[in-house]
Amino acid sequence: MGAQLLGEESVNTVKNRKVLIVEDSRLIHKMYEVMLRPITLVSAFDGRDGLDKLSQSPDVDFIILDINMPRMTGLEFLAQLKATPALAQIPVIIVSTEGKEEDVARGLQNGAAAYLRKPFQREDLLKVVNRIESKQPAA
Amino acid sequence: MSDGTNMTDPSPLADPPAGGDLLARGERDAMATLRRAQQLVRDAQVAIEEASRVVGESAGPASEARLVAAEAEREELTNRLAEVEHQVGRLMTLYVATYQLHATLDPVEVQSTIAEIALNLVGAEQFVLLLVDDEDQGYEVRLIHGEPDTPWVLSQRYTGGDFLVDSALADGGLRFGPTEQSPALAVVPLRVQDVTVGALVIFKLLAHKPAFVKEDHDLLDLLGAHAASAIFASRVYSKTARKLRTLESLIRLVNKG
Repeated sequence: MGAQLLGEESVNTVKNRKVLIVEDSRLIHKMYEVMLRPITLVSAFDGRDGLDKLSQSPDVDFIILDINMPRMTGLEFLAQLKATPALAQIPVIIVSTEGKEEDVARGLQNGAAAYLRKPFQREDLLKVVNRIESKQPAA
Repeated sequence: MSDGTNMTDPSPLADPPAGGDLLARGERDAMATLRRAQQLVRDAQVAIEEASRVVGESAGPASEARLVAAEAEREELTNRLAEVEHQVGRLMTLYVATYQLHATLDPVEVQSTIAEIALNLVGAEQFVLLLVDDEDQGYEVRLIHGEPDTPWVLSQRYTGGDFLVDSALADGGLRFGPTEQSPALAVVPLRVQDVTVGALVIFKLLAHKPAFVKEDHDLLDLLGAHAASAIFASRVYSKTARKLRTLESLIRLVNKG
């Protein structure tokens, strides 16, 4: 088969999942809301907000994380997450405009499961979500 | 987004504006098209399975030819579905950009949204937003991102001299550079009802983005039209709100007197 199908079919396979979005751009929050529908999204607008939301909803299946945010950056959030045994296993996808090789390496070394550079296409996002999802236990 | 742009504090997602209904309908239509295309691929898959069964039962050249034809059809449908999915993704990006531009009547938030689109959706690392100054009809630099080292950017005003910016502001056409007379990679004039209210001037893309792609042209075109009307509406609204507050103060004074 030529092209790989990544669209609504693949979103449907993860529709019962809950995802924490830690991102300070309202535009990108809206983008996730539209592109990942009907997945349940929990929204946080910086790292500290993300940790608060996690304490209220620790049952998220994975986290989509920006790097450059006020109050607490994505890498600081990631460090706190990995230092908390109950949360350390939640897969994290970093999605950032910081796209140099060293940025990607730093993110992955700090425990991110995947790294996606902005700007991204919907199929890029779904590909990464599928990859993470394929490593998850069934919903 | 705090990558160097002056931004307002993030707040919860705004309610969609009335115009958002039309966009939402467009998005639903696109998703319906995608579902139909997916159904076609599933139908083709069923047809292939049926053909395989028939071939299994009565193997012969005609049956094998039908199977080959069905597989070719499925291949074509799959490729077309992938293309449709890509188009749906592009439409979603355009929808979100438009939605967010019109989600507020605060001029500062509109400018922040333009910056977010330039950085997160276009991949611009250095850019400047020029807006017409209502008082002297010149252009002031209203937003700088990424420290472009062009002299006029630092002066906070644009008085002409950059060929691409001048020509884009003059005729309202999107321009791509750089050229010998301009370091700008793109100049996006912001126009509403044939009036230019400003321009987004992009000087540098993110390191991992080597050049503009086809999708960027659509996005920059959309930005030129919708950012202008969003800025225009927010300016009119804030002027009206200011006048209203002044009038209310006057009425209170008169009532006291």
